[in-house]
Amino acid sequence: MADNVLVFAEQREGKFRKVALEAVSEGKRLADKLGGELSAAVIGSGVEGIAGSLGAYGAAKVYVVDDPALESYTSDGYAKALCRIIKDTEPSILLMGCTSTGRDLGPKVAARMGTGLAADCTALDVKDGKLVATRPMYAGKVLAEVVCPDATPQIATVRPNVFSVAEPDESLSAEIVKVDAEMSPEELRTRVREVIRAAGATIDLTEAQIIVSGGRGMGGAEKFKILEELAEALGGAVGASRSAVDAGWRDHQFQVGQTGKTVSPVLYIACGISGAIQHLAGMKTSKVIVAVNKDPEAPIFKVADYGIVADLFEVVPILTEEAKKLLAE
Amino acid sequence: MICGKEDVMNVVVLVKQVPDTEAKIEVKPGTASIVTETITYVVNPYDEYAVEEALRIKEKLGEGEVTIVGMGPDKATEALRTCLAMGADKAVHLNDDAFAGSDSYAAALALSKALEGLSYDLVLCGKQAVDDDNAAVGIELAELLGIPHVAVVTKIEISEDKTKAVCHREIEGASEVVETSLPAVITAQKGLNEPRYASLKGIMQAKRKPIDAKDAASLGLSAEQVGAQGSRAKIVSMTPPPPRPAGRIVPGEPAEAAREVVKLLRDEAKII
Amino acid sequence: MLGIGGKIVLLLCIAASVGLFLRAVIFRVRLLRLGKSEPRFDRVGDRLRNFVLNVCFQKSLFERPFPGLMHALVFWGFVAFLLATINHVGEGLMEGFSIFFGARVGAYYWGFVDLFGVLVLIGILALAFRRYVLRPDCLTLPSTESAVIIALITSLMVTYILGEAFRMAIETTAADDFRFAGAFIAKGLASTGVSKSALNAGFLVCWWIHILAILFFLVYIPQSKHTHLLACPFNEFFLSLKPRGELTTLDLEDEEAESFGVAKINEFTWKDLLDLYSCIECGRCQDNCPAHLSEKPLTPKGLIVDLKHHLLEVGPRLLQKRGEVSADTQQAEDDVPTLPSNVISDDTLWACTTCGACVEHCPICIEQMPKIVDMRRYLVLMESKFPPEAVAVFKNMETNSNPWGIGWAERADWAKELDVKKISENPDAEILFWVGCSGAFDERNKRVSTALVKILKAAGVNFAILGEEEKCCGDSARRLGNEYLFQMMAQENVETLNKYKVKKIVATCPHGFNTLKNEYPRFGGNYEVVHHTQLIADLIRSGKIKLKGGSSGALAYHDSCYLGRYNSVYDEPREALKAAGFSVTPLDRQYRSSLCCGAGGGRMWLEETIGTRINEMRTKEIVEKGVELIGTACPFCLTMIEDGVKELDKAESVRTRDLAEIVADRLVES
Repeated sequence: MADNVLVFAEQREGKFRKVALEAVSEGKRLADKLGGELSAAVIGSGVEGIAGSLGAYGAAKVYVVDDPALESYTSDGYAKALCRIIKDTEPSILLMGCTSTGRDLGPKVAARMGTGLAADCTALDVKDGKLVATRPMYAGKVLAEVVCPDATPQIATVRPNVFSVAEPDESLSAEIVKVDAEMSPEELRTRVREVIRAAGATIDLTEAQIIVSGGRGMGGAEKFKILEELAEALGGAVGASRSAVDAGWRDHQFQVGQTGKTVSPVLYIACGISGAIQHLAGMKTSKVIVAVNKDPEAPIFKVADYGIVADLFEVVPILTEEAKKLLAE
Repeated sequence: MICGKEDVMNVVVLVKQVPDTEAKIEVKPGTASIVTETITYVVNPYDEYAVEEALRIKEKLGEGEVTIVGMGPDKATEALRTCLAMGADKAVHLNDDAFAGSDSYAAALALSKALEGLSYDLVLCGKQAVDDDNAAVGIELAELLGIPHVAVVTKIEISEDKTKAVCHREIEGASEVVETSLPAVITAQKGLNEPRYASLKGIMQAKRKPIDAKDAASLGLSAEQVGAQGSRAKIVSMTPPPPRPAGRIVPGEPAEAAREVVKLLRDEAKII
Repeated sequence: MLGIGGKIVLLLCIAASVGLFLRAVIFRVRLLRLGKSEPRFDRVGDRLRNFVLNVCFQKSLFERPFPGLMHALVFWGFVAFLLATINHVGEGLMEGFSIFFGARVGAYYWGFVDLFGVLVLIGILALAFRRYVLRPDCLTLPSTESAVIIALITSLMVTYILGEAFRMAIETTAADDFRFAGAFIAKGLASTGVSKSALNAGFLVCWWIHILAILFFLVYIPQSKHTHLLACPFNEFFLSLKPRGELTTLDLEDEEAESFGVAKINEFTWKDLLDLYSCIECGRCQDNCPAHLSEKPLTPKGLIVDLKHHLLEVGPRLLQKRGEVSADTQQAEDDVPTLPSNVISDDTLWACTTCGACVEHCPICIEQMPKIVDMRRYLVLMESKFPPEAVAVFKNMETNSNPWGIGWAERADWAKELDVKKISENPDAEILFWVGCSGAFDERNKRVSTALVKILKAAGVNFAILGEEEKCCGDSARRLGNEYLFQMMAQENVETLNKYKVKKIVATCPHGFNTLKNEYPRFGGNYEVVHHTQLIADLIRSGKIKLKGGSSGALAYHDSCYLGRYNSVYDEPREALKAAGFSVTPLDRQYRSSLCCGAGGGRMWLEETIGTRINEMRTKEIVEKGVELIGTACPFCLTMIEDGVKELDKAESVRTRDLAEIVADRLVES
């Protein structure tokens, strides 16, 4: 019997998330290696219309559970729907994006099916007919290879922005299979009351993935504007070192450092910050650190991945310009 | 076993002892595990938020017990004592060689059996353990116990009649306000609270609080059902990540250097 | 002189006065005995020496020459008048009484008393002038007690001289030969032509006012800050003889102990309580306290005065408990309020930098700062109530043995490229370089460690470091009140040092230096510990290192609290700087009066939100001397002053460097 791959393609407000397409693309690659078929699962309310587009990415079948009760993600609702599809299709491998939904749904389905889960995978492969998932452990200090030798489906959630989205082939189409999961609102034990969007300026620093931070070198509250522009262009938040907060240029809630907030963003851009140890204590686990400072001796350069020794007022606007150009592509 | 007494709120908190995040992690050559001799172990930071929240709930209501449940080897007792020193009432230590090497499923299974012997209205734990980073045990446990869960929570409000909880759940760029029936499993995210520091008074009191040790047999589980044997996902290898390239000063005129950095962020660091 | 009626009145007044005096004194002594016991009867010779110097010769008061001299006059006058007062009472009760039985020496004595009568008058009026006209910051106004005392002493002297003048205007005896003041006034009185009976009346009025004033004074002494008359001599005798830098060690293993640290007033020791009686509110401590000077709510003087008033207020309730134990007395004790966070505010307690200036400048050996640490201990150990910034610091020390929480395995990374051996590799090293947390992890201070290594190598010193086995000395933890964490770290460090049989240690951080030298012995660690400035001075003196000649210009040197006030290391750093060709520009506040940089007492790790910045205050007064270089000898001071220079926007023109860096730059390479 062939080993098939099922991908839960997460949609949000009627559009597939980028990581869903990445998962589908990778799923297709694995299915091909296994000599099996790729199917996709689309769950929500009013989502039939978009299901077909997954055919272009290699899905042979797209299973759709369309029900008003599934308008918002709930673990009870989506797990029931997905497990129904799994029961119907008996895939060997189940993939989904490692998003807030994926991180919630993956474990629930894994427990319900009594199978293994590898979360936040950065590489996937097939060996001897089994999925080999590579995932970081110990905050990325170790890369582990995980297999699920006996149970099915072997579940893996994929880290966003790691796998590539395949070139869609519009000549391909998928068979849409409607699945009635027999949802009833009463069986949903959790309910989303409302969603509070975080506007750019009120993003909590500890949750921001990108932070642009200013220090003593800024010279004034109004000078932070260029950092705000850079942050906006990158979709990040603005932080400040203790000197800037003490000088009254930024509010204390934006202070990064030992006596402020500890942050661990994917990108931390330190402008006019010397990098005293108390500041480093608050941001050194950032994945990538960029430092801009006039002083070549500034300790921040010892921890920065990329450093620019120059006047930040010349550098930052260019960074913003380039970032905007890049993201527009 | 679920409690249900209206005026009392019993909370169970799952706690794991993990390597300190600053520890030097090295793969033991030829194995799929790490060198442990030089590591300092601590209470999983996310679990600390859970313990603190449980204590605050107890303090607010004035009644109820906070029970810490943790699975780990002998030295995990230290982590349990720390939580008792913070103010928890008692602890259950799942300690058995058979538990070693558990994946999320096997751990959740053993924990679910342990919880069957306790009375609780709410189960709290950290959203993930900072060693495996799989972020699955809390959710899998809820499923095995047949109760709902809300994960990655930054705020919890228990209803007056203690039958419901309203949680703020962190999703991308927003906060979802989710209502759940109780009992439920709620996993804690950073920002839920600031965990208290155990006073010396608390440490001394903790010495006299009970830690109930449970092995697999006492939970009604056989060795095949738990630990490495009972795991559905198995780690077959561990390698260090590719070395982080040394940081470098990007040369050139400011504008040039800036452009270069943006390029590097896209191509090399793969961030934007 | 007095009729039988007068004698009876006099006796009754004396009885009443002495009775009230004794009652007040006994009450206060009973309160003292509420305090915990503390052994202070050792080294009697040293104690007597201090007593003679500071009580008899008033030496410690002369730090402030003008008020010091004035007070000395009043004090010596007081002593001189003792016999005169006995004589005064005697002549009231017995006709023709003379304490000298007519001996000639009496006449000299009375002349001596007259002299002091005048001097005391000058003294007290000068002090009144200082208090009410000059109005220095250190004195609290208004002060009813001071007004009463000034009035009493003035009237005592006036009535004495005037009284003898009235008598001498009637007739004089041989005993009056040297009463020059009385004689002077008597001449004037005689020349007015007033009748003898009027003169006699004048004499009696003065006589009675004088003795009644004394008897009133006697009652007033223990009821006011003039208790210091009784308490200070004892306080000087019972001064602390242990090293300034050693805090008391709590016995945390004590199973019986219900509480650690000081929560209630009776948990202080009897010496602590004696301190409260001894305070005359002179304000020398306050004038030198960096917290007070930067507008924090803490003033050491205020602390002592508040504690004293609290003791007197709740004393009766606490004494009640000491009798029978009953439900009422338990209630009475429970009702006594806690001190920390309550009688003494949190902001007050956490503002202290433990700089020790209060203890240093107090002329009567009051120990203000240790009381603050005692209360911090209660807050931290029993209630876990302390500034939230300290939580991370404590946890980091527990897990990674440094306040920043950087992996302990990286502690020797600073020395990786420097060819520095660890003691495990070089067990025969003559001296261990205790690098300290800043020296190992802080980028700026790593350069100081590197500089010292350069100097040690140039001198051919066989040294080693502990490397990853070195742990934070625990000073910040102890000063913040976390005695438990401190003892844990101390024990671990002592174990490591003893394992390697370390004999001599050099430290770049005065806090580490102080703790290893003065506090580790109690944990079994006995080493010869020197600060790097001492070692450098020694190496220069003995010619083991040679410095380039020529003048290097002027610099200002900032005395660190834990090096200077705590351990009296003032001269060696200056020696080294001079040898390096510098002229050391004097500062207004230097040596034992140096102003703290603000980082001590664990405050390096805390937010400073009240008042002005201590480090800015100190940096400003240094920078105002117009120097281009500031020399420091402590990683905290270096950080604080360098930051201060940046905040004052003077970073382009003023550099801050550690002595090690300065000397290393001037080494003659061989």
